[in-house]
Amino acid sequence: MEGKEADRPACICPGGMMNMVTEELMEEVKVYLPEAHTDARKMAELAKAVYARGCFENYGVPFCMTVEAEEMGAIVDMGTRIYEPHVVKYVINSVSEFEKLSPVDVKKGRAKVVLDAIRILKEETEDVPIVGNLTGPVSTAGSVMEPVVFYKELRKKNKEAHAYMEFITDQLTAFGRAQIAAGADVIAISDPSGTGEILGPKYFEEFAVTYINRLLDSLQKEKMGTIVHICGQMSPVYREVDGIHSNVLSFDSVVPMKEAREHLKSRVLMGNVSTYALEFADQEKVKTLTRGCVKNGSDIISPACGLGMKSPLANVQAILACLKEV
Amino acid sequence: MSAKEVLLKRLSDGVVDMEEDDVAEAAQEYLDAGYPAFDGIMEGLVDGMNRAGQLYEEEEYFVTDVLLCSDAMYAGLEILRPYLPEEAGETKHKGVIGVVEGDTHDIGKNLVKIMLETAGFDMIDLGRDVPLRKFVDTAREEGAEFICMSTLMTTTMGGMQDVIRILEEEGMRQQMKVMIGGGPVSQKYADKIGADGYSQNAVEAVKLAKRLLNITNDGLGMR
Repeated sequence: MEGKEADRPACICPGGMMNMVTEELMEEVKVYLPEAHTDARKMAELAKAVYARGCFENYGVPFCMTVEAEEMGAIVDMGTRIYEPHVVKYVINSVSEFEKLSPVDVKKGRAKVVLDAIRILKEETEDVPIVGNLTGPVSTAGSVMEPVVFYKELRKKNKEAHAYMEFITDQLTAFGRAQIAAGADVIAISDPSGTGEILGPKYFEEFAVTYINRLLDSLQKEKMGTIVHICGQMSPVYREVDGIHSNVLSFDSVVPMKEAREHLKSRVLMGNVSTYALEFADQEKVKTLTRGCVKNGSDIISPACGLGMKSPLANVQAILACLKEV
Repeated sequence: MSAKEVLLKRLSDGVVDMEEDDVAEAAQEYLDAGYPAFDGIMEGLVDGMNRAGQLYEEEEYFVTDVLLCSDAMYAGLEILRPYLPEEAGETKHKGVIGVVEGDTHDIGKNLVKIMLETAGFDMIDLGRDVPLRKFVDTAREEGAEFICMSTLMTTTMGGMQDVIRILEEEGMRQQMKVMIGGGPVSQKYADKIGADGYSQNAVEAVKLAKRLLNITNDGLGMR
């Protein structure tokens, strides 16, 4: 995490957008989604199971990326056992209406559920890093209003868009700081809607990088690891991505690890075992991909994206098993 | 350059430059000058949108840019379309498009819809988080020839396969082309679930739809 040499790469899956819960895992411990999205005890038990069953070497909560939006007033459908929660009703129609959003109150609602789950994990476990997850600024901004309008207004109402992003980032900061206070060892920020492919280099830097960095910089410094996951191709934006202040950068499987390593020589990179292979291929294929990630310069091995709920547990466990073999 | 050509260029450039207001103004001036709406659409607006699509392919433009270009194009269309002559007998190829159940990421889908409409297809947009059966039901009711599905999440990809299964159960698979796309989706996945095609982006989607439906380039026009 601090870029130090270890005997083998760690194998982690942060949670949040990077879901690590599968149907089989839920069956094994008899704790299920969607209930665990709203119940701190269940959330903590599912997070514990991920480690206990040899999937990943960390705990992580929550298992979705709708907590922040919901606390700001969006209506969220909690999904099912296999579909993750998603926003069904936005709060505002334009960036200029952001004052209508409720500020995130970490003492209430699902923000509190997440914090309670972190506290349970902190109290009842030791030596396993607890990852608290935040939805990235651009993705959060595009979760409380129609993202197409949001993207257009980055250009059309540039000044208001910045004021809106500042507000959003302040809410995420409050939630992130509370997660650290509750016991999170690492904060992972996933910003799937803030991609270079959608925004282009100029707006990626102006909105995604700027506010991710503002968020990172306002989290407590002491003993904290930070991970930032960006989706999509990096080729248009490697220079901008290198400007992100996190300890670790994580990419999805469209980014060849070798290419990322070449462009980001001094960075700690995390990734990127195809979640498609994890769901549909076999253990041997997963092991081959895992070895490929290590060989091509990944420092922390993880799934490239959130796991499909129907991924066989044996496939998921194959990543860590493979790393232990080496 | 003739006066008409000047206006056509202004329409096309306005779309490329995302100048919604100027496109609307130019469209009005073009009509007032008595030029045919059809040329204004095809040689002005659609030309501009195709140039924007080209810039997108070259990674000069990105998704947000193309969305703003399309706003400009639609602003012009709204003004010109009512003045198109009625042509009997000409039907457009119809498709159903949507984001599969469980997923609400629709930027990519919107882009594909825009480019297909630009290319002259009649697209019925079911939006996002679309119940799987609705793809099939709508395609049947509307007499569509193809279904486009997208998702950005691994968790919801399986729904695409279910739609193909429903088509088979309903005996509609033979006459319906199925195209898929989205972040985690690949040609390999398309082959696995028996979809007719996969496209990586909106520009490719247009080529794919034309190929699947055996459409040559001159057979289409935006109406």
